[in-house]
Amino acid sequence: MRQKKDKIVAKLLGKYPPLFKQWVKRAEFIEFDDSPWTPLDKDVSLCRLALITTGGIHLKSQPPFDMFDGAGDPTFREIPADTSPSELIITHNYYDRSGANKDVNVVFPLERVLELKQSGEIGDVNHRHFAFMGHIMHHHIDVLMKETAPRVAAKLKSDRVDIVVLTPA
Amino acid sequence: MATISISLSKDITEKVRPPRALYFGFPLGHPIGYPHQASLHHRVLRLLLRYLKDIDSPGTIVELDVTEKDNGVKYPG
Repeated sequence: MRQKKDKIVAKLLGKYPPLFKQWVKRAEFIEFDDSPWTPLDKDVSLCRLALITTGGIHLKSQPPFDMFDGAGDPTFREIPADTSPSELIITHNYYDRSGANKDVNVVFPLERVLELKQSGEIGDVNHRHFAFMGHIMHHHIDVLMKETAPRVAAKLKSDRVDIVVLTPA
Repeated sequence: MATISISLSKDITEKVRPPRALYFGFPLGHPIGYPHQASLHHRVLRLLLRYLKDIDSPGTIVELDVTEKDNGVKYPG
C-alpha cells in the first residue's frame, strides 16, 4: 500500500513543479555551509570518467534496492562499463521513471559517455560505475556518509578516475 | 577527483552544495534530458565536461538553457 502511495506521489511531484517546490520547502535535507573542492588540472580529453547516479539503477542480476524500508536504502550497486541497457533495471519508487524506463541514458548515460570516448572527447570511461537509490533518510544517512559513499569514493580513487558526473533523479 | 552534478532543483542544490552543478530545468527523473534524444544527451554531457573546467568557485550552480548556446548564468557559490 505504502509503495503504491510513494509511486503516486512521485508521479505528481514530477508532473507539477509548484507542488515539488512546496515539497522541497517542507522536506529535510542534510545542509552544508561549504563545498569540497578538487580542481580539474588536466584536459578532459585526457581524463578517465565515471558515473554515479542516485536513480536506483542496477543489474537485473543484482539485488534490488530496499523499497520496504520507509527510511530508504544507503547501499550501492556497481555497474560494469560493458553493461548493455537491456541488462539494467530501476528499483526506485520515489521519482517518475517513465522516461528512464524508455531509455536509461536519461538517468544513467553510459552509452552516451562511451560514445564521447570513441569521439576522443574524453580520455577513458572507467571500467565500473555506481548507483545509489536516492531516497535515504534518518539513520541511513549516517551509513551513507560514513560507510557506503566513502567506499565508492575509495574504489574510484583506486581506479584512478579523474572526473565524476553525478546524476540525481 | 573533480566532480560535477546535475541539479534538478536549485533549492535542494543550494542546501546540499555539491562542488559544481548545472541546472537545465529538466523535470524530475530526466537529469540528462528526454528518452531517445542522443544529441541532447551529448550536448548536456559536453556542457558538464566544459563546466568541470570552467567553474572555479566551490558550490557554484550554473543555470543553462540547453536549447541555446553558451548562455550560462552563474549563481553565486
